[in-house]
Amino acid sequence: MKATPSGPIAHGPLVNWIGLWTIIRREWSRVMRVPIQAFLAPWISALLFIFIFGFVVGRRIALIGGHRYLEFVLPGILMMNIVNASFLQSSSQVYFSRFLRYVEEALVAPLSYAEMIAGSLAVVVLRAVITAIGILLIAAAFGATRIESVPEFLFWVAAVAVIFGLLGIVIGLWANNFEQLTILNVFFITPLSFVGGVFNTVGMLPGWLRWMAFVNPFFYFISGLRHSMIGFSEAPPGLGVGITLGLAAVMSVVVWRLYAIGYGLRE
Amino acid sequence: MTNDLTPALSISHLRKVYHRGTVGIEDLSLEVGPGDFFGFLGPNGAGKSTTIHCITGIANPTSGSIHIFGVDAVKRYRDARRLIGLSPQEFNVDAFATPRDIVDWMGGYFGMTASARRERVDMLLERFDLIPHAKKNFRELSGGLKRRVMLARAMVHDPALLILDEPTAGVDVELRRELWRYLLELNRDGKTIFLTSHYLEEVERLCRTIAIVAGGKLVRHGSKGEFVGEPGGLEGAYLRATGAEPDRMAAA
Repeated sequence: MKATPSGPIAHGPLVNWIGLWTIIRREWSRVMRVPIQAFLAPWISALLFIFIFGFVVGRRIALIGGHRYLEFVLPGILMMNIVNASFLQSSSQVYFSRFLRYVEEALVAPLSYAEMIAGSLAVVVLRAVITAIGILLIAAAFGATRIESVPEFLFWVAAVAVIFGLLGIVIGLWANNFEQLTILNVFFITPLSFVGGVFNTVGMLPGWLRWMAFVNPFFYFISGLRHSMIGFSEAPPGLGVGITLGLAAVMSVVVWRLYAIGYGLRE
Repeated sequence: MTNDLTPALSISHLRKVYHRGTVGIEDLSLEVGPGDFFGFLGPNGAGKSTTIHCITGIANPTSGSIHIFGVDAVKRYRDARRLIGLSPQEFNVDAFATPRDIVDWMGGYFGMTASARRERVDMLLERFDLIPHAKKNFRELSGGLKRRVMLARAMVHDPALLILDEPTAGVDVELRRELWRYLLELNRDGKTIFLTSHYLEEVERLCRTIAIVAGGKLVRHGSKGEFVGEPGGLEGAYLRATGAEPDRMAAA
């Protein structure tokens, strides 16, 4: 029985590892309550894209950069699903914890903001990786799975998952209803991913529209992933990595600051 | 440094103004001694829950300071929170989780090892008669059972300061009396308890020190003896302190 503490109150450990692990296993249990929505839905969606665009349409399209169209389009399909899985994971986690008020359990506990954010992102990356593995297996059935560099592939999956996980946290903190939760996905993420080179090279775009690809971060994500899988990229080497790491750093600072001031979390 | 004189809770000039300009608390100062059973009373909207939210980190104080056993609740918030257990007025849980998970997760947040959690969770589920309901969804439980889960969750890390925001609201008479016995037992063992309740009988039975808030301000603070010795007892003192007139209320 712990009654009145005696002596000075000691500083707790620098990192609450058990608390961090609890955030992860708790959130994972929430994900596993909706496995169809979390995993089956993106896999079915990817299967349809691969079958229609890659297999049916792709057989009528010439090689791109020496690669079959199915191989060319697969990294884009993969990236779209990683982005969606990451964004939906963190935005729904934060939004529902606010909506049902169980975020207060974490607020009254000895958890740092960094631990709360890291716990959320760990689940985001795990969900993104499992989604990606499932899609690769589906693509393998069509003879399209090829990974030139596994470390590079893992970097792009994890880095993009972190960026969109952080973006999802921001939206989850900001949204006050379900409609607001989906706004970014409908008006920003889906359109930019479609015009970021999922189905086409920059060279296929009309000349006056090509600049749009180069200012679209999705173009660098898709190019990077495509390079790791089939060795084909239209983006200058290093630029995509720099943009991605820069975005992740900026988003991390923004999210940490929002937690620190209690935006959307504390009264 | 804590010693026998270090207050369990010390609030100094606390002010809380919400974003839309509503003043929740205005210049509230009070101290709760270590080992005290402290009753915090006031009408709905008086600022009781807002004060608790500022103490526990659910709300950001606008100004003023809060110390838990001498630890600054803002500057050393992680150390301060280790000392507090909160049973909130509203059910702030994942309604699809089970009571066992809800209590276990809270223990995890507080850094308890798996074996320590298992032992403590089993003890608390047993203590609150939750074993038969341990694997049901929280939303399937009755109001009284939900309240018990809140209490078990608040106590899982064995906090030195237990904050109970209307812990017996919606609870049947048997459980209320059982809970009173348990809380008195905890307090006898030295645990400091900070209780808000609308049941004056409960406060009179349990608490040694009482504070009354109204309109976000502390309007009275003293020992239980001071309150119950007044005309009309605690109820009369409460109604006068909050601006209602006991005789007129009784006539109505």
